[in-house]
Amino acid sequence: MERIPCTGCSLLCDDILIGTDGLFVDKIYGACLKGKERFDQVSSKNRLTSPMIRKSGNLENVSWDNALEKVKEILNASSKPLLYGFSTSNCEAQAKGIQLAKKINGFIDSNSVICLGKALNIAKETGITLTTLAEIINKTDLIVLWGSNAAESIPRLLNKILFSRGKFRMTGREIKTIIIIDPVKTASFGVMQLRDLALNIHTGKDLDLIRVLKEECCKEGSFPKEGVAGIDEEELKRLFLNLMGAENGVIFIGQGLLRPLPEVNVIKELFELVNLINLKQNKGRISVGLLGGHYNMFGFDQISLSLTGKNHSLQFSNNELVNTEDTIITKIEKDDFDCSIIVGTDPISHFPYSLSKKLASKPLIVIDNRKSATSDMAEIVLPSAITGIECEGLVYRFDHVPIELKKILNPPSGVLTDEEILNQIIQKIG
Amino acid sequence: MELFKYLPQTNCKKCGYPTCMGYALALLQGKVKIEDCTPLVEEAKYKEKYEKLIELMGGEDGKEKELHIDIDEDLCDGCGICVTACPVNARFCPPTLSGKAPDVPHDKHQLFEVKDGKCVLLNLEHCRRLEAEGRERECHVCEIYCPREAIKIVYV
Repeated sequence: MERIPCTGCSLLCDDILIGTDGLFVDKIYGACLKGKERFDQVSSKNRLTSPMIRKSGNLENVSWDNALEKVKEILNASSKPLLYGFSTSNCEAQAKGIQLAKKINGFIDSNSVICLGKALNIAKETGITLTTLAEIINKTDLIVLWGSNAAESIPRLLNKILFSRGKFRMTGREIKTIIIIDPVKTASFGVMQLRDLALNIHTGKDLDLIRVLKEECCKEGSFPKEGVAGIDEEELKRLFLNLMGAENGVIFIGQGLLRPLPEVNVIKELFELVNLINLKQNKGRISVGLLGGHYNMFGFDQISLSLTGKNHSLQFSNNELVNTEDTIITKIEKDDFDCSIIVGTDPISHFPYSLSKKLASKPLIVIDNRKSATSDMAEIVLPSAITGIECEGLVYRFDHVPIELKKILNPPSGVLTDEEILNQIIQKIG
Repeated sequence: MELFKYLPQTNCKKCGYPTCMGYALALLQGKVKIEDCTPLVEEAKYKEKYEKLIELMGGEDGKEKELHIDIDEDLCDGCGICVTACPVNARFCPPTLSGKAPDVPHDKHQLFEVKDGKCVLLNLEHCRRLEAEGRERECHVCEIYCPREAIKIVYV
């Protein structure tokens, strides 16, 4: 039995107790259902174990050499390749991915562009107050869940931040206040006590609430009598008092705050609100936590920032980075690609039909450890080892802290890691 | 307060407490029995209140009823909030203080454990509802904090 980090979600719990018999994981203590499923993938039925090529409509098992030859053929024939995914690979593989994109003059993007990676781009303008999990456990006294249902999406988050008894918060749950702002009464509301605040905001009206709070920051007593977005004046006052009185508060942003339209920038206004509150209050500070889904979503942002100076959506031309406003979505929308390499994700089932139809119409090369809708559509399928179980590496947690993953099992014979596969493709192209 | 409603409220001092309110508090903490209030038992006009009171205190009065904690396996998603929130776990398993998973093999006092993504009840011997005294005996943190409402405390 040893304690290893779990790669089920972006919380990366490093206290999961695992027992193995050399081939499979047979004892799992402490992991939630999401983490357990992750460990079960080692022996799951839909595991990919051999490279496959589409021949006359069907996927057929071939050797690695044949598969890589075919990859070379497709990449040499293409001028605008697309690379997407990388959120479930380690940072080493992500660096290789950027190297490959540079070599083949491709466009590379990660899942963070349709998730909270946007927030980091916005933070370049407004600034962002970040915090770490250890600080939240030991010091925080106010937790705000805004547009996220942590009890179901990241099951162990509330356990770690709300119920834990930290060094300066020895009474645990008794001393911590939780505020949930959500239009739907989700499972997260189940942990609330009398003095906590449940705000059922109207759908899509977060911006109104943020603006009212910003106004109150500038001029006291300016709350509207009739309330705003389904929240009455009394609740507004309590919310504002909690934000102002917190010694160490943290606002967790979930997917609920993301808007597809660029002109409605809720996250930018929220960051400005946090800055205003921090200017005004003198007890402590309010910081922001970004609740991503994939366990290494922020890793790609960090790696591409250190290698190229840009967060995501990297377009290469003549082996140099060029400026572009495009993201993976606009790229596919405009049909501005001629083949794609998908690493460890399933865009065919994530994207809307109009986009996935376009993506599937061009040659697809999939690097993944399990069968998915994307791998069923693919031209070439390359099986990879499961990062965090069959291969070690560095990943970034939701609070941007690097965590070292451990290798506890050997991958099945003939299965390489993401990093090795990308390296071999780079060498093959020459 | 609920208990106070069903007392005679005459402050007769026969139970040894100066007021009925004081007696009600002692009753809540399990220091006295309902029978200590002699007017309630003897006088006919309080008969209805007496029966109500027995019903209210039923959980502790019925000795043959046994404590059970039911965990619905279909609802549970192994978040481990019960493991961290349980005061007995917190006292005897140090890792749970900072929200971590307890050590394996488990301490003999430990009540809950998350195994294979589901919560498991290890033993009930050291539950506060059986061992603690006074108000702590009314502990039901595992039941109220479960976000999936998978835990139920029942007397069978």
